[in-house]
Amino acid sequence: MKTLVRMIPLLFLLLAAACGTEEDETSGEASGSEGDGGSGAEETRTVEHAMGETEIEGTPEKVVTLYQGANDTAAALGIEPIGIVESWTEQPVYKYLRDDLEGTEIVGQETQPNLEKIAEMDPDVIISTITRHEDIYEDLSAIAPTVVGQEVYEWKETLGLMGRTLDMQDEADQLLADYNERVDTFKEKMGDELPMEASITNFRADHARIFYMGFAGRVLDDAGFERPEGHANPDEWGIKLSSKESIPEADAEVIFNFNSGTETEQIEQTYEEWTSHPLWQELEAVQNDQVHMVKEETWNAGGGVIAANRMVDDLYEIFDVEEE
Amino acid sequence: MTVLQDRKGFVLLLLCTGLLLAFAASLVFGQTPITMEQAAQSFLSYNDDSTEHIVVRSDRLPRAVIASVTGASLAVAGALMQALTRNPLASPSIFGINQGAIFTVVIGVVFFSASSLLSLMGLAFAGAAVAAVIVYFLGSIGRDGLTPVKIVLAGAAISALFQSYTQGILVLDEAGLQDVLFWLAGSVSGRTLEMLLPLLPFIITALAASLLIGRAVNLLVTGDDIAKGMGQHVAALKAFMGVLIVFLAGSSVAVIGAVGFIGLVIPHIARFFAGNDYRWLLPYAALLGAVLLTAADVVARLLIMPQEVPIGVMTAIIGGPFFVFIARKGVSSV
Amino acid sequence: MKRLGNAPLGTFSLKTRTNRVLLLLFLAAVAACMLGPSLGNTMLSPLEVIRAMAGDGEGANEFIVMNSRMPRTLVSILVGAALGVSGALLQGVVRNPLAAPDIIGVTGGASVAAVAFLTYTSGSVSIGWLPGAAVTGALVVASLTYSLAWKKGVTPIRLVLIGIGIAAVMSALTTFMIVVSSKVTASSAYLWLTGSIYGASWEDIFAMLPVVLVLTPAALLLAGSLNAQQFGDDTASGLGVRIQVHRFILLFISVVLAGTAVAAAGAIGFVGLIAPHIARTLIGRTFGPVIAASAFVGGLLLFGADLAARTIFYPVDVPAGVFTAAVGAPFFLFLLYRNRNHF
Repeated sequence: MKTLVRMIPLLFLLLAAACGTEEDETSGEASGSEGDGGSGAEETRTVEHAMGETEIEGTPEKVVTLYQGANDTAAALGIEPIGIVESWTEQPVYKYLRDDLEGTEIVGQETQPNLEKIAEMDPDVIISTITRHEDIYEDLSAIAPTVVGQEVYEWKETLGLMGRTLDMQDEADQLLADYNERVDTFKEKMGDELPMEASITNFRADHARIFYMGFAGRVLDDAGFERPEGHANPDEWGIKLSSKESIPEADAEVIFNFNSGTETEQIEQTYEEWTSHPLWQELEAVQNDQVHMVKEETWNAGGGVIAANRMVDDLYEIFDVEEE
Repeated sequence: MTVLQDRKGFVLLLLCTGLLLAFAASLVFGQTPITMEQAAQSFLSYNDDSTEHIVVRSDRLPRAVIASVTGASLAVAGALMQALTRNPLASPSIFGINQGAIFTVVIGVVFFSASSLLSLMGLAFAGAAVAAVIVYFLGSIGRDGLTPVKIVLAGAAISALFQSYTQGILVLDEAGLQDVLFWLAGSVSGRTLEMLLPLLPFIITALAASLLIGRAVNLLVTGDDIAKGMGQHVAALKAFMGVLIVFLAGSSVAVIGAVGFIGLVIPHIARFFAGNDYRWLLPYAALLGAVLLTAADVVARLLIMPQEVPIGVMTAIIGGPFFVFIARKGVSSV
Repeated sequence: MKRLGNAPLGTFSLKTRTNRVLLLLFLAAVAACMLGPSLGNTMLSPLEVIRAMAGDGEGANEFIVMNSRMPRTLVSILVGAALGVSGALLQGVVRNPLAAPDIIGVTGGASVAAVAFLTYTSGSVSIGWLPGAAVTGALVVASLTYSLAWKKGVTPIRLVLIGIGIAAVMSALTTFMIVVSSKVTASSAYLWLTGSIYGASWEDIFAMLPVVLVLTPAALLLAGSLNAQQFGDDTASGLGVRIQVHRFILLFISVVLAGTAVAAAGAIGFVGLIAPHIARTLIGRTFGPVIAASAFVGGLLLFGADLAARTIFYPVDVPAGVFTAAVGAPFFLFLLYRNRNHF
C-alpha cells in the first residue's frame, strides 16, 4: 500500500519510471523512531491513551502541546514546549501562562494546528486530545510519537497522561497530591459551611449560559461543593438561556460568574441587564451577597492543573480561608 | 357588495380576536406558571414583590410586543414583495435580506466593535437594502425578466454568498461566533422593549402607509400597462413599496435576527381570505403575521424548557414545508 | 466537439478553441499537482519534492510533501473537480446558472448529518464515520427533494424550488444543533460547515478518485442529452431524449459527486456555483466541454483556496471555505452581470 501511495503522485508528475527502486527502508517512519538518538538509549515505555498505545523512548525533550489544558499542564510540570497552540482569548497565550510559556512558538489553533510547522520542529512527542485531533492522529504519529488525551476538560487525565508520557510521573503525582491537599485543607477549614450549593454562570452578548459539569464543575466537586438539581450530570456541558425568565435555573447558595474573556460592551450590557433583573435579585446567592466574579481563562478555558489551582486560589480568597 | 364587505370585516374581527388570544397565551405560558388573573393584575395593580408580575411585565410583555410587531412587519413586507415582483414565493428571507443584514452587522460587531443600538440598526438596514437590490437586479436581468424561479434562485444564491462571508468571519473569530449565536438563529427572547422603541415610529408609519396604498397596489398587480393607462406613476409606486419593504424587513431583522418564512407564508393565508384585494390582504397579513409569530414564540419556549428553540428555527421548520407545498402546487399565479 | 466525451486525449484536435482551452486547463491542473507540493511556507524545489517522495527527504520534507502538501493538493483538486462537475450538471438539468449543490439542499443534508454526528456522538463513535454520515445525509435529502418534486415527472422549476425549501429546513436544523451544543462542539461544527481541506489523507484521495474518474466520464456521455434539454422538455423529447431517465441519472451523478466531495472536505460553498460560470466564459455553452472544463476550473479554484488557506495566516491554518467565498463570490457577481443576456 505504501508503495502504491508513493506511486500515484509520481504518476501525476509523469515521472513514474524514475523511481521505484529505493523504497525499502522508509516504511518505518510512521510506527516509531528506532534510529533516533536524540534522547539517548534509555528504556522504552508504552503509554496508553485515548486512541491506543504509543511507545515513548527515554525522556522526551522537544514537546508539542496541542490543546489549552496540555499547554497549562506542561507549564505546571516545568517544561517549556517547543510548540503550543494559540489560546482562545488573550491571544496568543493566556496571561496566566505567559511567564512560563514566554518563548514558545505558536503552531496554529487548537482546531487545526499547522502540521507542516510541527513537522519542521521535529518534536520528540506530541500531546493531543481526542476532542480535536482524532482525525489527524495518524498524521501526528507520522511526525512523532503522539499521545491523545481525553475530552479537553478532563484535566486530571491530561496531567496523568503527560506525567507518563514525559517520564515525569513523580512530578505529576506530586502536583495532583498538592492539589488534593489544598482542596482537603479548604474543605476542612470551611467546616460546616460545606457542602454549599454552587452554580456557574457566564454571560454572552445575546444570551446567558449555565455550566454544569465541565472543568469548573469538576474542581468545585473536589472542593466539596454541591450542585443544584440537574447541574451535576457529567455528560451535560450546560445550557444556553435566552430568556431572563429562566434566571431561577441558576439559583444556588453561591454563584460563580465569569464573563467571556473578550469583555466587549455588549457582554457588559447583557450582564447588566440580567443581573439587574428582579428575578436575579431574588436568587439566594444574590440575596446573601454570594455572587463572585471569576476569570474565564482559569475557570473554563485553561483546563489544566495550573488553572485548577488558580480556581482553588479563588476559593480560598472568596471564602476568606487562611492557607497554610 | 355590503355582504362581502361584512364578511371581510368579520374576518378582520376574527383576526383581531386571534391576536388577543395569542398575546394572552404569550403572557401566560412559559417556565414560570402564571394564571390569566395574575397576568391581568400585573397590569391593573402591579406589585413588584410578585415574581409572576415581574415575569409578565419584564419578560413576557416585551417578547409578545416584539413578536407581534415584527411578525406584522415581516408579513406586510412579504405581501408587498409578492405584489411588487408578482411572485408568490417572494419574501424577505428569500430575497436575501436576512443574510445581508446579518453580514453587515457581524462585520460591524467583529471589526468595528459596533455596539450602539443605532449603529447596529443602521448596519442592518444597509445590509438588507444592498441584498434586496442585488437580488432584484439579478432576478430581472436576462431575456424573460423577473420570473419567480429566477428571483428565488438569485435570492438563495445571494443568501448563500452573504452566509459564507459571515461564516468565514465567525470561524476565524470564535468568541464572536459564541456571542451572536441566538441572534444568528433569530430570537425574540431576551430582547428588551428599548430595542424596539426607537424603531417603533418608523415601523408604525411604514405599516400605516402600506395599509393606505392597498388600492394602488391592486392596480399594480393587474399589470403595469393597465396601471399606466390609469395614470399611475408606476415607477414611483414601486420605489415607494421598495422603501417600505426595506424599512419593515430591515427593522425586524435588526431586532430579532434571522427569522424567515413569515413573509412568505402569511400573505398566502391572507390571500385565502381576501383574494387578491390588497386593501384587505395587507391588514389581514399584518394581523396574521403578528398572530403566527407570537404563537410560534409560545411553542418555541415550551419545547425544550428551560432552554428555548430559537424562533427563526421554528419559523423555518413551519415555513420550509409550506414553501415546498406552494412550489408543488405551481408558481404561475399570484 | 461532440466526440469529446469519449475521445481519448491523444486523438483530439487542437484546431478548435474549445480543445485548446481544455488542454490549457488540463495542463494548469497538472501544473498545480506539480507545484502544490513545492509551495507553502517553506518552499521546496522540485528536486527536494521528488527526493521526499522517494523517501529520501531532508528533515521534515518527507512529511511535508507526503502527509501534508501532496494529499492536500490532490484532495483539493478532486473535491473542487467533483463540485464543479456537480454544479455544471445541476445547472444544466434545472436550466439555470444559479443552481448549485449547496443551494438546493444537497450540501444542507450532508451538513445536518455531519453536525448531528459531531453534536450527539462526540467521543463515542469514531470520527471515521463522519464522511459516511455526510454522504448518507446528502443522498437522503436529495431523494426527498426528488420525490417531492415528482408529479408525473420532475420539472426543473419544481426541483429548484423544492430544493431551496428543503435547504432552508436543513439550515434551520443545523442552526438549532449549533445553538444547543457546547462551545467545543459548536466550533468543530462551524469549521465543518465552512469546509476545510486540512487533514486530507491518502484515504480521502482513494475514496474520491474512483468517484470522480467514473462519474465525470459518465456525465460526459449524457452531455448530448443535456444540450437537448436546454431547449425545453418538449423539444428534447421530440429529439428522442428519454428526458426523465436522463434527468434522474444526471441528478444522481451530481448528488454523488457533491456528497463525496462534501464528505471529504466539509460543506465548502460556491465552488459548484462558480466553476461552471468560469467554464462557460472560457469555453462557450456546449455541455460536454463545459463539464470537463468545470472539473478543471473547480479543481484549480479549490487548489488556490487551500493554498491561500495554508499560507496566508501561517501558522494558523484557515479553513479553505473562507477563501472560496471571499474570492469566488465577487467574481461570480461580475460574471452574472456580464452574461446577463444569456439566461
